[in-house]
Amino acid sequence: MKILVAVKRVVDYNVKVRVKADNSGVDLANVKMSMNPFCEIAVEEAVRLKEKGVATEIIAVSVGPTAAQEQLRTALALGADRAILVESTEDLSSLSIAKLLKAVVDKEQPQLVILGKQAIDSDNNQTGQMLAALSGYGQGTFASAVVVEGDRVKVTREIDGGAQTVDLKLPAIVTTDLRLNEPRYASLPNIMKAKKKPMETLKPEELGVSTASTLKTVKVEAPAARSAGIMVKSVDELVDKLKNEAKVI
Amino acid sequence: MDFKLTEEQQMLQETAERLVRDAYTFTKREHASKSEAGFSTEFWKQLGELGLTAIPFPEELGGFGGSGIENMLIMQELGKGICLEPFMESVILAGGLITQLGSEAQKEELLAGIASGELQAAVALDELHSHYDLSHVTTTATQQGSDWVLNGRKGVVIGGHTAGKILVSARNAGDTCDQQGISLFIVDPNSAGVTRRTYATVDGRKGCELFLDNAKGELLGTAGGAYDAISYQAGRAIAALCAEAVGAMRVLCDITLDYLKTRKQFGVVIGKFQVLQHRMVDMVSALERATSMAILAACLADDEDSAERSAKLSAAKFMVNRAARYVAEESIQLHGGIAMTWEYSGAHYAKRLVMISHQLGDDDHHLEAYAAQLSA
Repeated sequence: MKILVAVKRVVDYNVKVRVKADNSGVDLANVKMSMNPFCEIAVEEAVRLKEKGVATEIIAVSVGPTAAQEQLRTALALGADRAILVESTEDLSSLSIAKLLKAVVDKEQPQLVILGKQAIDSDNNQTGQMLAALSGYGQGTFASAVVVEGDRVKVTREIDGGAQTVDLKLPAIVTTDLRLNEPRYASLPNIMKAKKKPMETLKPEELGVSTASTLKTVKVEAPAARSAGIMVKSVDELVDKLKNEAKVI
Repeated sequence: MDFKLTEEQQMLQETAERLVRDAYTFTKREHASKSEAGFSTEFWKQLGELGLTAIPFPEELGGFGGSGIENMLIMQELGKGICLEPFMESVILAGGLITQLGSEAQKEELLAGIASGELQAAVALDELHSHYDLSHVTTTATQQGSDWVLNGRKGVVIGGHTAGKILVSARNAGDTCDQQGISLFIVDPNSAGVTRRTYATVDGRKGCELFLDNAKGELLGTAGGAYDAISYQAGRAIAALCAEAVGAMRVLCDITLDYLKTRKQFGVVIGKFQVLQHRMVDMVSALERATSMAILAACLADDEDSAERSAKLSAAKFMVNRAARYVAEESIQLHGGIAMTWEYSGAHYAKRLVMISHQLGDDDHHLEAYAAQLSA
């Protein structure tokens, strides 16, 4: 079984993000970039499925600038077999990414596509669902467990009320939640092996996809600073404030 | 000059960074420091499993042929977590000495273990009155038939209390401070005639005094000709310490800045006071100067031995020592009393930085060494 894993290059989660002075976006100059943490979980899940003998090949795919090769190389060091970069310098919307991924899915015909549930830069939480709609495959989003049985996959989803398990026919789309697994570290032998693994670069036009966006970012602002907390003298005072001021209990 | 890391170096740095960040919380470090080993054996195992302990060794010896840059990347991350494990002592110093001096059989026997982390080695060079002078060796080595017998005392052997093998410098010829006549021996610390007195060092690590009373040692390299190798490998270890100090300084600067932005006095955060802003800027300036010197040291650590290499390594250690102590002391001043408490991580960073500024030569020692090279 072939698994396609999507990975995104984002600002590292430890970086304090700054908004550009002209409010046109986030300042990316000299900022450390990494693989989106949810995508790391997606790669890890694919690698575990391969280790169990369920998957035979893992293809990592990313859409982004040339520098996104770094994140693909990391995916290869974590256990992916080969990588595809759809190279684009544009700021693409979730729909454009989903269309490009659909084109890669058509080309590669994977049985399972695993994506992070969202990227930590824009937090859209859309690409997996859009890809499912475009490809017509079943979707198991916010996965905390993935079990492949024959030509079906059982996905346990994290939902507001608890957990829900859906049974999907393969091929299917899965998006990962935080508790699905704990990603491994890239070991030095695997980092060295990753150098020799193949990486293909494609352009959106080669895939026949138009990435013209219907969305325009008007303004980006930093959230308002949190106001200082207060110290209360007793539990009674705390309960009183929660009840009468905050009105949360 | 292009300082950009290769993709492999970036991934290596990310692996080390993530590992330290996940596995080395302040609480876990405290726990490891108080354990019998004085460091986390679990973390040491992880370093081995991920191949990080194999980095500097040649590929034909089971390593990855890493250079001073790879060592720098790992040491910086270990410095950020003020990790207690004797990585420099075992992998860089002991591993380097065995690679340079060892016979094929000795390399085969020991390096695979060090590279996998299964063997932790230590190096005993200092003596009671040596004061950073690597040629000041009073421990004696006498040949008895095919055996070498060692007598003397070695001090502050970091990691020596848990080491599987200890490399000991001893004199088989010449006077106390002669460079000729110094040999290096592999000592099994559990063999007859070897006694260790373990103690904690001020930075939360553990080391030992090593007493040798007719102890047997296996010669590493040629008899009486080990000084050049010891001096060369100490240079590689100095570069590693510089990198570790930079990692620790960076974190200490960050937490000091956070404190200035949080702590309120006279109704405003203390970072609003210009005099404190100036002091914070001076700390970061010192850090940046030290970073440049640590990169220089890493770039020439594995170069061929030369007077120029030694001079530049002394210059680097001098600058880093000064910066380390400056950042440590200023951090304490800017924090006030809290920076002296056991419960605050900043205190432990400061102590480690002070310790690094004395390991393998303090600033006076390296300033003198640098001046001597200039006038030579």
